[in-house]
Amino acid sequence: MKARSSNWQRGVFIGTFIVPTFVFFCIFTIYPVVRALYYSLFDWSGMSENKTFIGLGNFRDMFRDPIVWRAIGNDYFLVAGKIAGIMLVATFFAVALTRFRFRLAGFFRSIFFIPNVISVVVIGVLWNFIYNPQIGFLNAFLSLFAKEKVTIAWLGFASHTIWMLLPPAVWAGIGFYMILMIAAIQNVPESFYEAAELEGAGQWHQFSRITVPLIWEQMKVSIVNIMMTTLNGSFVIVWIMTEGGPDNSTQVMGSYLYQMAFRQYHFGFAAALGVLILLLSLATTVALQRLLRREVVELG
Amino acid sequence: MTLLNRKTAALGIAAMMAIVPLAGCGSSDNGNNGSASSSAPAAPSASPSASPSASPTTSSSASSSASSSESASAGPSASQTKLTGDFEIQYFVGGYGDKWWKKVISDFKAANPDLNVIEDGGPKINDQNKPRWIGGNPPDFVYIDGPNLNDRQMVEDGQLEDLTDWLQTATNVDGDKILDVLAQAPQQYDGKIYNIPLVLNSWGIFWDKALFKEKGWAEPANFDEFLQVSDTIKAAGITPFIHTGKYPYYINGAFLYPAIVSNNNDDYTILQDMAANKVDAYKSPAVLAALNQIVQLRDKGFIDKASIQINHTDSQMLFLQHKDAFIPNGLWLPNEMAKDVPQGFDFGFIPSITQKAGGKVVANTSTATVAIAKKAKNPDAAKAFLQFIFSKAQASQWAELSGAPSNIKGDISSSNAPNFVKDAAKYLTDPNTVVIPTITFNADVDKAMQDATDALTIGKITPEEWVKRVTDAVAKVQ
Repeated sequence: MKARSSNWQRGVFIGTFIVPTFVFFCIFTIYPVVRALYYSLFDWSGMSENKTFIGLGNFRDMFRDPIVWRAIGNDYFLVAGKIAGIMLVATFFAVALTRFRFRLAGFFRSIFFIPNVISVVVIGVLWNFIYNPQIGFLNAFLSLFAKEKVTIAWLGFASHTIWMLLPPAVWAGIGFYMILMIAAIQNVPESFYEAAELEGAGQWHQFSRITVPLIWEQMKVSIVNIMMTTLNGSFVIVWIMTEGGPDNSTQVMGSYLYQMAFRQYHFGFAAALGVLILLLSLATTVALQRLLRREVVELG
Repeated sequence: MTLLNRKTAALGIAAMMAIVPLAGCGSSDNGNNGSASSSAPAAPSASPSASPSASPTTSSSASSSASSSESASAGPSASQTKLTGDFEIQYFVGGYGDKWWKKVISDFKAANPDLNVIEDGGPKINDQNKPRWIGGNPPDFVYIDGPNLNDRQMVEDGQLEDLTDWLQTATNVDGDKILDVLAQAPQQYDGKIYNIPLVLNSWGIFWDKALFKEKGWAEPANFDEFLQVSDTIKAAGITPFIHTGKYPYYINGAFLYPAIVSNNNDDYTILQDMAANKVDAYKSPAVLAALNQIVQLRDKGFIDKASIQINHTDSQMLFLQHKDAFIPNGLWLPNEMAKDVPQGFDFGFIPSITQKAGGKVVANTSTATVAIAKKAKNPDAAKAFLQFIFSKAQASQWAELSGAPSNIKGDISSSNAPNFVKDAAKYLTDPNTVVIPTITFNADVDKAMQDATDALTIGKITPEEWVKRVTDAVAKVQ
């Protein structure tokens, strides 16, 4: 009897935490997802009272639309570029700031973290100025080394303009993952490194044999997180800097979704694009988890 | 127990996720080509109640008794009948401000004391009221301006009242026929009129008269002179022409469309045919000739290389700083940049620069329109309001309070309107100017033209490819 009531109390206790969260999760996550799935089956302007049911017509159109394919390509380009760029630099900084003890380490840690405190919108505007052909920093800097004034339109190439969005995206992401890596590295017992040093292992060996295996979990989380935030959030930097232009060369799925929903009045098509983003994010997460599976080394 | 809960919850979610896509497969062979079909005629109304979240009536208009009476006396007598009940006006507040709206609404209230006028105004009003339009509970009267509100789309969505018959006889409060006092005729959609232009603004090319005087450059009046002076300007180390590649509708509106009309012997119906998605219009030699004028600017190196990536504000700043001599823009430019205009800067303006020597100037107008909701609950009041605002007295009042020319014919020379507004009004009423009535393109076609023009200005495509791309887009939305 007593055991049962305590069991019940335990259930109530757990329930008070889970139920509200679950309700909110349903209202703000599950319901919109279901709703988006529903809208994706209609030809709807987003403003009209009437929607026409067209089944999978939006999806059919989507796969025939060359801009969608370019947007997917651009998204995965950004995913690959950001993972490579952010992980390399963030890990390097993290190792440098923890393993190579030097003065000012704290100062640099704060400096590198600053981009994370700035809103992505501000970062976009800032880099727009850097890239500005007339009054931008980059051209002014390059002009120092050239005979004539450099007037390259950094965001206006006929193709491959998406490359130019990589530096700001990487720059904006480094700080957070660097802090993550620093925390992970600081959890590795100092004695491991001391022992390695006594055995004659150099910095590179210490890094590849001790640091990486022991922080692999965090690296994995970082990589998956960069991937997901890029697929879902690359919209912001694209929209601030280029609005997908020129001539759709920097369009990503998110920006094309916005363009179609609110500029070209194809809400159903945009909802279908949203569904595509969801599916691709899920699929890529699963694929990456598989790909990054390694024997986990745990500290006993 | 918790395990069981988790299982049921997961099952529930899985079921929800599964059912929806399945429901789609049931009857998916509705050939309708998803995107953009202009499917106005009474689509099978799939649950119009679908308005997401946001409770439809935020401002108590639901109580309005009048149950959308279809009668709405079409005659001029409407203003004589006593107006009662609620009357709701949605107006976007942007570059033209809201001073005029506040004034005219309070005057209208004074004239109709028994009418309860509800104002829905603000810079975000288009988004705020969207759920109500979707839910079939719109305000009675709407001013179509600002983002996320497109007159053509509203017509296609069947949200605006057909004013064609009413306008044939409707008179304003002074007894003048409304159609007669309009400087620019309303746009027609398949021969029908749904919205009336309130503002009369114009696209065109700007320069700084003071700079031209100082350097001894001739102000151009046609395309040859424009090319000549641009050569001189370039030699002097200034880039002749800048535009905003981020928003290519500026160069389309101020350069390309007038050029198409000039090349079409000043006949602007070609643009109306284009807007009506007639493929042949796009294949006209006039379009190619106009595109080739852009190519000339490009190949002579007159277009500032920065243009392609900058927004309108940046391009306007560079223009004001004399980095560039000409800019395609709209008559709102002096107002918009008022804070940044350097001392001594003197705006020169011509509506078009692409005409041959001796050819007529072509003014591509830009407007914002007003309309009545099809589901208006008080259409009588809405029509009376139209009769009220399209009176001659409002021409000066609009010009003074909003800083833009009004679409109502009327002498504003004695009013307190800014000088450039008076100049513009003079241009737009000049018999030697071809005034293109405002044209709204299909949003997909518009975007295709903007992208193609951008691509053309950076040498990515040829004029022929421009035409190909755009006609493909047109074919898709037909």
